[in-house]
This record gives sequence, structure tokens and C-alpha cells, in this order.
Amino acid sequence: MAQTLDIYIVGVGGQGVLTIADILTKAAFQKDMPVNYYPTKGMAQRGGFVKVQLRIGSAEVGPDIPEGGADLVIAMEQSEALKGVRYLKKGGEFLLYTNRWNPAAVMLGKAPYPEADTVVREIGQAGGRAIVLDPKEKPDFQGRPIRDNIFVLGSLFGRTKLSQVFPQEEIRGLLETRWPKAAKVNAFAFEAGRTAVVKEI
Amino acid sequence: MAKKLLSGNEAVAYGALAAGVKIVAGYPGTPSTEMIETLLTMDLPGTDVEWSANEKVAFEVAAGGALLGYPTMCAMKMTGVNVAYDSLISIAYSGCTGALVVYVVDDPGVSAGMAEQDSRGFGLISDMPVFEPATLQEAYDMTKLAFKVAKEIGGPVFLRSVTSLSQSHGPVEIEPRVLPETGHPLLEHNMAKYTKAGAKICMDQHQALLDRLEKAKAPIAAAGINTLSLKKAGGLGVIALGVASLYRREAFAALEKAGIDLSEVSVLDLKETLPYADTELKAILKNCSNILVLEELEPYVENRAILLAYQMGAKAKILGKNDGTFRRIGCYNADLIERGIIKLLGTAMPAFLEKPAIEPEKYAAARPITVCAGCPHRGTYISIAQAIRKLHRKKEEVVVTGDIGCTILGTTPPFEILWTEVAMGASVSLAQGFVYAGTKNPVIATIGDSTFFHAGMPGLVNALQHASNLTLIIMDNGWTSMTGMQVNPGTMQEAQHSPQHVWHQIDIESVVRGLGVADFKVVDPYDLAGMTDAIADSMQYSGTSVVLARRECAIQAGRRKIRYGTVRVVEDKCKACKLCIHQTGCPAIDFTDGKISIDATQCNGCGICTQICKFGALVKA
Repeated sequence: MAQTLDIYIVGVGGQGVLTIADILTKAAFQKDMPVNYYPTKGMAQRGGFVKVQLRIGSAEVGPDIPEGGADLVIAMEQSEALKGVRYLKKGGEFLLYTNRWNPAAVMLGKAPYPEADTVVREIGQAGGRAIVLDPKEKPDFQGRPIRDNIFVLGSLFGRTKLSQVFPQEEIRGLLETRWPKAAKVNAFAFEAGRTAVVKEI
Repeated sequence: MAKKLLSGNEAVAYGALAAGVKIVAGYPGTPSTEMIETLLTMDLPGTDVEWSANEKVAFEVAAGGALLGYPTMCAMKMTGVNVAYDSLISIAYSGCTGALVVYVVDDPGVSAGMAEQDSRGFGLISDMPVFEPATLQEAYDMTKLAFKVAKEIGGPVFLRSVTSLSQSHGPVEIEPRVLPETGHPLLEHNMAKYTKAGAKICMDQHQALLDRLEKAKAPIAAAGINTLSLKKAGGLGVIALGVASLYRREAFAALEKAGIDLSEVSVLDLKETLPYADTELKAILKNCSNILVLEELEPYVENRAILLAYQMGAKAKILGKNDGTFRRIGCYNADLIERGIIKLLGTAMPAFLEKPAIEPEKYAAARPITVCAGCPHRGTYISIAQAIRKLHRKKEEVVVTGDIGCTILGTTPPFEILWTEVAMGASVSLAQGFVYAGTKNPVIATIGDSTFFHAGMPGLVNALQHASNLTLIIMDNGWTSMTGMQVNPGTMQEAQHSPQHVWHQIDIESVVRGLGVADFKVVDPYDLAGMTDAIADSMQYSGTSVVLARRECAIQAGRRKIRYGTVRVVEDKCKACKLCIHQTGCPAIDFTDGKISIDATQCNGCGICTQICKFGALVKA
């Protein structure tokens, strides 16, 4: 049987969540694998909750991943991560990027914001394995910040089962085709993510 | 044939091109927008594509072409059908010689924040075929089929999708575009068909309409879109419609993997609601003792099955919405259907369906959506609140109606200034009702530019005619923004074009002046003092007043590299009072480790925060 992979991605508009999904979709398309990429963008241009459901390798499935159905959950924001936990399969992998985008109420001290430990605890209770990537591990490239989403994408290929579905060279190739002018910085960001230190819990 | 990565909306666009479509018109609305947006990026000689002023206009434009015998299509979100329906039902009764396809996308599970309506109900009222593709490939194939059936029966058909299909992306096999025909003769002068002149004509048209729906059965059967697989007589059956048929397959696979044998279960997968697939429905009703019906939102097919079972004297027990197995609310997934099948089987719940009792979401920080950094609407919301205070009134005393689009973000924190969200253009007339009903304080209505052209103008005309004492604020940012920056009648001239045509900008200011509004002010929402004065002044005017708040959408201006400088923090003046965040909620302002900072990548220098700061700690640079 061909390999199937259901991926649930959560984050905030502006983080490049859709780009990660788009690259993986193209990778599957290139290999002639069945793929369904279903983004829910909400209404805000920037700063609102974004989720993507990506179903790779299964021809006859609906767009929505059921609760407890995702082999891999990717969270680009620490608090929004909690909205992905329910969808993680028992024994599945959860890549938690502990990036904080504080809503205004949190900045004003009027609302609480969850600690990374809370998210990790919830992932554990869902029966999943947390792979925690700290944005502090993200290096600069020639004195300039690199893109979070490419860094996280690299980490997925260093630390999760995604590398068993797609060789990392294919992803690197797609990144280069898509942004030929940023080839060097993106290759650096991908490699930095792939080799970044993570906490596995 | 070529394989392409397409969204559901794009697949429909390519399907229409392969059907030789001549005219495509619509109004933007999530989740349907990308269908027309895709076509507007292509050079399509011989095909006219447009964003129309509203859905009724779009339908009529498409219908005109179909009356001349050409394949045409109009597109809208579910609530758009409500707008188009007056003309739609009339043309359904008349029929047309060309293929007229109405593409509508419903939103079960509500991702776009409007009424969770099931537009198939409109198909029932006007006896039109309703096609419901499940996969992206079917979205393409069944678009072509919809054109074919519409042509054969001589009347309009619905192509109905849902958010999860229209917004999904995946591989689709497509064929080259078929060039539209040209040179059809003029419309035949046929009063009995194209007018409603007299009872006999209208009732004859009603009969012809019913005949057309009946006639659609043959080409639909020939296309083989509905699939029936009868198994053990007296056994169990499942009927699944549209996207639910995919979840049905997924659920069957998951249950079988868990050791539950479903090989004896009869299955009917349907890809259309109307005309009802009576032949297949009767066959499965006759064959099965218990049947589960899977259909998102309203139980139209289920109710038909119950009716047929009654007529046939069939004893089949039908599980679905009527018995409470499923709700009429929300979208489906495999998990939900697996539970339904377990109930149908009457067996114990398999272990894999037992989910851990966790509630991770309750620890998540609330993240209300708000307007973008630099959004001119921010200035309007703040100014409304300031004008209310200036007149020594409280926010709780002044009703401010909202409309549809980005302008409705005034309902969310930190503004919370709008009280209502009803429908396109409803803000103005609703406000007039509040005035009639005796609301003591001034009443304010707010509306965006595209919404004003769409359905707000009749409301303003009505308020003016009846000298209603209200203030309308038109928040003109020049674009139909919420749906992803489409062109509307008021958009700048340089954007008024398709690859084939040049269009014309209609200036809102001239429109409002032309209506003879005596109290009319044009202001810049980036100027809080000017806006506040204008609104407060108009609120005191006796009669219908209009404030036109004009400033281009920050996202669109930003795409043309327009910035108004930037804002910097004067650190020794900043008291970290956070009033700037509290009042503006601007995503470009950050407060970390006791310090206010401005994100230069987001800030466009609108300067609203500099007008809020009481200590001169935020300055334009």
C-alpha cells in the first residue's frame, strides 16, 4: 500500500502557514501522489487563526481530517497550537514551534497566554509525541532574519516522518524554483531548521 | 488532457472554459470568489468575464447571453442566491435556449461568517437540477455536465458546491478551452416565453418548468454520476450525497480496517439532489431494512426517501436528521459518519472511535480578528466613538448599524462599536427602522464602498426620500477587500479592466452628490480630529446626512509601495500606558518586557496611533 500521511497545520495569518502546505502539495503532485490541500484562512489578512488540512497519498478521502486522525500536526504559534491537539492521532508527531504572537488583550495584561509546557502536556494527554522547536534556535543569514516557515519546514525534514515520504532534495528544489532570488537564504534556512536542536517529549 | 493542481473553484472555471462558456459574471463572496478571479487573470478572447455590481445583476447578465442561446454562467456565495433569486426564478419559469449554469458555494460549518443556509432549497422552489460534485475532478467534470444538461432541457441549472470542496486544492485532469460560438440570431420575439403577461402564460411556464426537471433525468442517468451498489436483500444500506460520499468511503475503509465487515451493506452515492434520483432511491428502499442517509445541512434527500418509502409501503427504517442521528448544523467528517454507521449496524463502538477526553482549546488565548495595520476603518471606528463622547452621549446610547465586508470588523475588540450585521446594504434601511421606532439618540449606519454599490444605494435613496434622521458613514477604501481585493464600481480607474476590456470607475462622491444629500462631508479617516468633528456635526443634523470616509485599503496601497512614512517611539516620553494598543488594537504595535515598539514591516505610517498618544511618545518619522 502506498504511504498515506494526514497533516494538520495551525498558525496565524502572516506566518507563511499556507506556503508550507503549498510546497508539500507541489511535492506530492510532482510524485503523482494523490493530495488534497484544504486551507481555512478565516477573514483577516494578517494576525488571524489559519489552519490547513493536508491529506497525502489517499485518493478517496474527504477534505476534513477527523479528530485524532492526523499523523503529523505542525503548529507555527504556541497558543494556536492548542487548536491542533485534538486532531493528532495517538502516537502521532506534533511539531511545536514556540513562537508567540500576542493578541492585544494579552499585551494589555487582560488575558492569559498559555505556556509551552501547557501545550506539551496537552499533546501528551492526546497520546502524541511533542517535538519542540524554539525560535531562539533560528539563526540570522548575513545579519538578516530568515523566514520562520522555511526554518520550520527544514525542521520537519530533520525530525519527523515527512522525510520518509519526500526526499529533502525535492523540497529544496521546489523552494529554489519558487524563489530563485532567495535561493541561498532559503537553502540556509532549510538546513538550519533541519539540523536545529529540538526537545522531544 | 493535462493534469494541473487546481482548487475546486479553479476546476469549475476550467470546466466552464471546456464547455465553451461565453459570459461569466458574479459577485465576490467567500468561498466562491476564486472561480471568477481565475478567469479574470486569463486572456480569453470571445468570453466576457466580470465582477458585477451584485448577484442579481450578475445573474441577469449571464441570463441575457443564455436567452440568445450561448453557454453562460454566474457565480456567488450562498447568500448571493438570496439576492439573485428574484430574476432567477423568473428565468427558470421562462427557460432559455442557451445553457445557463448558476454556480453557488454553500458553507456548512461556517468558515465565512454568514447564515449557514442550504441553497439546494432554492432548487426545490424553482424546480431546477442541482448538481453536487464531491471531488475536485468531479467539480471539473460536472461543470461540463451542468452545461450539457442545461442546454438539453432549455433551462438554468444549479452547480452547488461547499467550502471544503471549493477551497480544496489537488490534481485535476483538464482539457483545452473550447472557443465560444458566435453569430447567434437575435432573441426571438416570444411573449409566451419571455414575459409573464397573463395567468395562462405564467401557468403554462410553470408546467414547462416541471417538464424540464423531468427531462433532466435522462441525461443525468446517461452520465452515470449516481452509483448504486445493492447487496444483501433485507440488509442495511447507506445513501450519501456530494462531499458526504467521500467521507462515507473514508469511514467504510476505517471501519473495515478495525475489523467491521461492511461488504453486505448496500450503497447509493448521489452527486445531485434534483431531480430526485427516485429510481435508485426506490431500489435501495426496496432492498434494505435500515438505511442511513448522509447529507450535510438540510435533509432534502432523506425527506424524499421517507416520502418514497411511505408511497411504496416499504418498511425501511431511515436514520439521518429526522431521527436525530445527525444534526442539521455544521459540516461532516469521517468520524461523524463512522458513528452513524455503528448506530446503523447496532454494534459496539470500536476502540479507535474512543477519543481522549481532552479540551486543549480552553487554554488558548482568544484571538479576535481585527483590521490590518494601517487600515483606514480603524480611524472611522475610533472617530465614531469620539464623536459620541463629544456629544456627551455614551456608546451604549447610540446605535451604529454595521454592514457586510471588512467594515464589520468594528464589531470586534478593541472597537466594539457596531451593533448589527444583517445583509448587504441592510445597515441603512435598518437604521431608518430604528428612527421610526423612536430611538431617541442619533442613529448611525456604516457601509463599505462595494456594499454601497451592491445594495446600499436603494436604502440611502429611501432614507433621503423619507427625510429619515440618520447619519450614513460610507467607508470607501476603494476595493472589495474582505474577499481578497476585487474591483468594484468605485475602484480606481487604473484597475478598471480585464485582459480584454477597459471599464469605468463610478465616483461615490458624485453619486451621493447626485442624490442631493444636503449634509454631505468627505473626510480622511486617518485624520481623527477631522473625522470626529464631521461625524459629530452630522449626528446633530436633522435629516439624512452622509459622511464619506475616503482612504485606500492599506493592503492594496502597500502592494503599490504606497507608505505614509513610519512611526517611531520616543522612548523617554513613553509612559508604557498602553493606550495606543488599547484604543487602536493595531497589530504593528507591540508591548513586550514593559516596552512599546513598532513593527516597521507592518506599519504604513497612517499615524492614527500618534493622534491617540497623550504624551507625544509616538511620532511620524
